[in-house]
Amino acid sequence: MNVVAATASVDETRDLARALASLARPGDVVVLAGDLGAGKTAFVQGFGRGLGVPDRITSPTFTLVHVYEGRLPVHHLDVYRLGQLSEALDLGLPEMLDEGGVVLIEWGDAILPVLPHDFLEVRITFGAGDDDRHLALRPVGPIWAPRSDAMAGVLSPWTGTA
Amino acid sequence: MLILGITTSTAQVGCAIGGHEGVLGAIHSTRGRRHAETLTPAIEFLCRQTRVAIGDIGAVAVDLGPGMFTGLRVGVAAGKALAHARRLPMIGVTSLDLLAFPLRHSHRRIVCALDAGRGELFHAEYRQSPGGVQRVTMPEVSTPADLASDLEAANDEVLLAGDGALRYVELFDPIRRVELADHGEAYPLAGSLVQLAHARALREEFVSPVELTPTYLRRPDAEINWATRDQAGA
Repeated sequence: MNVVAATASVDETRDLARALASLARPGDVVVLAGDLGAGKTAFVQGFGRGLGVPDRITSPTFTLVHVYEGRLPVHHLDVYRLGQLSEALDLGLPEMLDEGGVVLIEWGDAILPVLPHDFLEVRITFGAGDDDRHLALRPVGPIWAPRSDAMAGVLSPWTGTA
Repeated sequence: MLILGITTSTAQVGCAIGGHEGVLGAIHSTRGRRHAETLTPAIEFLCRQTRVAIGDIGAVAVDLGPGMFTGLRVGVAAGKALAHARRLPMIGVTSLDLLAFPLRHSHRRIVCALDAGRGELFHAEYRQSPGGVQRVTMPEVSTPADLASDLEAANDEVLLAGDGALRYVELFDPIRRVELADHGEAYPLAGSLVQLAHARALREEFVSPVELTPTYLRRPDAEINWATRDQAGA
C-alpha cells in the first residue's frame, strides 16, 4: 500500500524523513526519486538524524558515496553522475547491504536493474507553493510491504489523516 | 625472480613473497574487513621478515576475483600502483583457482564456492591434473540452493571448499558424497598465488598494470536510462 504525504517546507521534509527512520532495519534500501531541488538530500538529512547520525549530511553528488555512523551505518549515494549500470555496482552496493547498513540512493530509480528487489521508493514532486512538496512512498517487495501500516502511522502528521 | 602476491577478494586479506625457492613468507588476516588498512603495512612487515627489499621484487601477482568488491578493489589497486611505480610486470589469477590449488592432491571432483553476498555464490569446478588442478567450468554466479541441487544430482565424490560453502553449510552438509573442506581451506591463500604465479612467470605469461582487470561476474553491460534526469535538466 502506498502512502502519500505533503510537506510545506524543507524542514518539514526533514521531520517526515526523521520519523520514517524509526522503521529502518539493517539492509534497507530507500530509492529517492525527484527532480533537482525536490529535497532528496534534505530527506536523507532528516533520515540520518532519525538514525542518530551526529554529522552534517551533505550532498554526495560529486563524491558518489558518503557513509555515516548512526544506530545503523547510513550509506548515502547519488548516482546522478553515473553513465553505466556497472558503475553503480562499483560503488560496492551489495556489501553495504550485507554489512547491515541502510542505503539511501538519490536518483535510485535510474538504476533499478541492479538494485535488490526489496526497497522503499520515495518520489518527491513539487506542489503548488514554492516550498510545497508531495511525497509518494511506495514499498516494493516483501521486506517493505508489511511496514505499510506502520509507515502510515509514523507519517500521519503529513498524510492529512491525523 | 621474486614475486609479491596479493589476495583481497574475500573477507581475508593476504600477501606472500616467493619464487623458485617456494613461498618465503605469507601473512593473512580475516578480522574486521580492514583490507585497505592492513595490506600495505602487511607487505612492509613481510618484506622485512623475509629480508626482501621492495626493489628485489620482480613481478606482482594479484587475486583477480570474483569476490567481495571492496576488498578486490583494494588489492588490485595496490598491486597496480606498485607495479606501475616500479615498472614491474603483473600476473592475475582467478580467486577460485587459488582456492582449488591447495586441494590438488584430491582425486575427487573439486568444487570451489566463494560467498558472493546477497544470497549468492561464485563457483567453479576443478579436476586433478599433472602438477595441479584444471578448471573444468567457467566461474559463475548462482544461488546456494541451485549449486546444492546440482551437486545432489551428480553421481560422483565431491570435495567442496570455500567460505561460500561454509556459509550455507546446512544446504551442503546433508548431500551424500559431498565432503566440505574446513575453515583452513575457505579463502584464497597468498602462498598459492605466489606458487601459481611463479609457474606463469617461467612461461613469461605477464600482463601490464594497464591491462590487468578484475573479474566481475555480475557487471551488467548497459547504460543507465537517464530519461528522468534529462527531462529535469531540460
